[in-house]
Amino acid sequence: DAIATIFQSAQKTTAGHRKLAITMRSIWEQCAAGTGPLGASIGGGRVGEKAFVKEFTGFLNRVLMTKKSEVVGDRCLRFTDLFVRGLLDKGGEDEQMIEEEEAVEETSAIRFVLRFIFYLLPLISSREKTVRYRTTQLLSLLLANALPEFPYDYSTKSNAIFKQLRSELLKRIKDKEAPVRVQAVVGVIKLLEMGVGTDEGDSEDDDEEGDGNVLAVLIEAMQNDPSADVRRTILYHINPTSETLPYLLERTRDTDPATRRSVFTRLLPSLGDFRHLSIGMREKLLRWGLNDRDESVREAARRMFNYRWLEDVDGDVIEILERLDVTCDGPQGGVKELALRGFWEERKDFVEKITFGDEFWEDLTAESAFLARSYNDYCRDLPSAQREAGEIDEKMPEVTKLALHLQKYLNKLVVALEGEDAEAATWEFVAEQLLMIASRMDYGDEIGRRKMFALLRESLAIPELPEGVTKLIVECLAKLSMGEGDFCMLILEVIAEVHDRIADDDDEAGVADESFHSAKSDVSDDDDLEDSITVRAASVKATVKELMINLKCLHIAQCMLENVSGSLKKNTHLVTMLNGLVVPAVRSHEAPVRERGLRCLGLSCLLDKTLAEENLTLFAHCFNKGHEALQIEALHIMSDILVTHGSAIFEGDSCAVEQRTLYRMFAKALKLDEVVEVQATATEVICKLMLAQVIKDEEVLTSFCQLLKVLVIAYFDSATADNQSLRQILTYFLPVYCHSRPENQTRMQKITLNTIHQLLLIRENLGEEEEMVSITTTTSQMVDWTDPRKNVGGGVQAGRSGIGEKIVDPNVHVDLAIDTLERVSSSSCNKEEKKVLCAMLGKLYIPAEATPEKLRELYELVTQAIGDKVATDAPSRNALNKLELLLGKIVNELERDGVTEATGD
Amino acid sequence: PVNAPVRQRKEKETFLIDFMSPEAEVTDDVVRPKKGTASINMPKKDWKSKSRNLLPDDKHFNSTQLKKLFLKPKAVLYATKSSK
Repeated sequence: DAIATIFQSAQKTTAGHRKLAITMRSIWEQCAAGTGPLGASIGGGRVGEKAFVKEFTGFLNRVLMTKKSEVVGDRCLRFTDLFVRGLLDKGGEDEQMIEEEEAVEETSAIRFVLRFIFYLLPLISSREKTVRYRTTQLLSLLLANALPEFPYDYSTKSNAIFKQLRSELLKRIKDKEAPVRVQAVVGVIKLLEMGVGTDEGDSEDDDEEGDGNVLAVLIEAMQNDPSADVRRTILYHINPTSETLPYLLERTRDTDPATRRSVFTRLLPSLGDFRHLSIGMREKLLRWGLNDRDESVREAARRMFNYRWLEDVDGDVIEILERLDVTCDGPQGGVKELALRGFWEERKDFVEKITFGDEFWEDLTAESAFLARSYNDYCRDLPSAQREAGEIDEKMPEVTKLALHLQKYLNKLVVALEGEDAEAATWEFVAEQLLMIASRMDYGDEIGRRKMFALLRESLAIPELPEGVTKLIVECLAKLSMGEGDFCMLILEVIAEVHDRIADDDDEAGVADESFHSAKSDVSDDDDLEDSITVRAASVKATVKELMINLKCLHIAQCMLENVSGSLKKNTHLVTMLNGLVVPAVRSHEAPVRERGLRCLGLSCLLDKTLAEENLTLFAHCFNKGHEALQIEALHIMSDILVTHGSAIFEGDSCAVEQRTLYRMFAKALKLDEVVEVQATATEVICKLMLAQVIKDEEVLTSFCQLLKVLVIAYFDSATADNQSLRQILTYFLPVYCHSRPENQTRMQKITLNTIHQLLLIRENLGEEEEMVSITTTTSQMVDWTDPRKNVGGGVQAGRSGIGEKIVDPNVHVDLAIDTLERVSSSSCNKEEKKVLCAMLGKLYIPAEATPEKLRELYELVTQAIGDKVATDAPSRNALNKLELLLGKIVNELERDGVTEATGD
Repeated sequence: PVNAPVRQRKEKETFLIDFMSPEAEVTDDVVRPKKGTASINMPKKDWKSKSRNLLPDDKHFNSTQLKKLFLKPKAVLYATKSSK
């Protein structure tokens, strides 16, 4: 009939929907009025209205049975929504009624809506997932478009229907099907916006579905729903308020990249001016967005900074920086540096038009100094051709001027430090930025160079300067000096100057105490006691001062050593410093002095092999006996020594540590589950040494293999689940290590079986709360690491036949298969392990190009395993049979070739 | 469009809902809930996500870290080695 015809056309295209809706409405009007071909037959009034709903829903049922993938279903539902919208618009006068808070007149359109929803209610929880999907889809469409203004609370009956609707939709937030959940959350959010269930009295009888609770349910779903679509839908639709915003912004770290991206592309633009966000939030958005693993998210975050934020402040970049916390990440600036780098790259218009006039340098703030430094770095990193166009040398002040500015801010810093002024932090930051600019200037101008050099030399001797500033000054001096000899001599002069301060201050302290004493003595009854107290106080003060000066000298020495790479023995200044300053410090009773001395000694060891040999024992001792920070320091130092001098160091006459001892110590460090940072550092150190091939000698192969095994076990062990540093380092390291050199891959192959065995043991003893990746995932990772096809054939083989063209060692998986079968056939192998290993066999790559003897051996082993009925379950038997079949073919072929060869002779 | 799939698009039969023939009628009992044992709800274990579906703290570990010395991060590791 007529309704069917309308649906029939509505499903084909949305183009005629408006017209069709009008036709549908006239049918409805006819039904109500009892006119027309349909209406006349049933008689008008309420009966007619009811009859229409029955007819209409009868046809709608067919739509509700339509699969999600069929677009015709979507069209029909959109048409239905349009039709309902039309009905309600017609009775436009209703709206005025609502405004007046008068009772809403019940129109036939309202009655239709209520009957219609009443009809749909039970369908929401249909057993058919398609019906549930289509019904919730239709309801979320209606609630979004046709019904937001609907006077749902005009009558008790209506109110009850809408409350039931909300209750049904709320249940569907936990539906089995993600698409249903997506539609349900939209519906629930729309009902929440309409205010359904918020009127007084409601919350009392139905506490569970109170307004706040609905929001809580939605937030919970946004955090916990396994489907990213659901989480993202809530993110899109929920109203951002001070209550919901933290949860919405938290999605910046969602596991799904599209959800993360939409925080930047949809949520944030809808919030308006970024200055409404807290400083902490702005910092986090940048940190997460710009460092995201997904390029599209990074791009979205860059657009936010480079365009939207910039527009919010009318193009004033410095204001954006002021709205952040530039100084909180140290002189480099952390994510702010990253943000600005992206800014210069994207906004070439700013790169060109920006200028730094004299008044700019006169009146620096942390933000403006940071901006200038970032700009300078960006321009100086450009390839020379582009740099000339940028005319960076013209934009930056000439060296002489820069030195004057630097001097000014260093003075401000010293004054502020003396006055214990809060501004000191700002001037420290500004001075650091200027020093970073200075370290990248062109020093062709000799007068400028001398001016800067003199200033830096003089400033370095100020013991009060913060360490960050000192470090940068030394770096600049290294650049401005004529060779390492001159540089070291200069630094040693400064150290001597600073050291002399101890003597000076001793005198001063004595004078001060005397006056203190004389002032006090008048009121004191017991002169002797008073006297001894002041003397002790003076000596404590002097000791503190001495300690400070000592630490300062050591720090300068450390900064110097960081900038030196030549031989220690050939540099008499360094030898002097080592014996006069560093060695006494290492023997000091003051822990801070001793530890700083150790760092200097470590740095010195990098410059001299014999010195390194002699002191390796000392650093090993520090690791064994030290506190956490010292353990990390010791690991760092030993790693650097080994990387610099190689494993040859163990053969030196002065070396008292055996290689094996050291590696056993590293392995021990890897098991320190409760001190995550030491554990992560040890991981990084071992990875570094392995990749650098420092540890590779055949005589320690067994202990070496053990170390690799310890790494793999640590990677999968539930005990390291919370050690993200360790996990992420190994995620990078393991494939790179195995696939870069055939010999590495062979090492991995050799430990595979034993490692799987141990991991199975760990799994058996797993506590309830502990989680581990499945053993299937584990074995397939190990199969992947040992896959010879993935080996890029680095090292010696590289280049001969071209990387990747030829499989360097086709035997790796064949060897692994042999190991596996031997293990499976052994009596100590339990059912579970057999099953795991047989499943792994099926994934191995067994090429005909492998060594014939190995293939024959493997064939024999698999035949025997089948004969001995080693496998107890079907999948395992299948895996063995499959392997036998494959090998049978290969071996047959080998025999035939052998025969042909023999007869061919 | 760098690696646009070359596969031919299968001419999908356009699906149309049959509103006209009475045989295609879907009665209310088909769409309404029936008693059944299978749950229409998500299994309870999926209700809560331990990680709240958030990424672990990214340590941004990368290969350049392995090429640096711990004590002298500015010096490139392999350059130092080859000079000896």
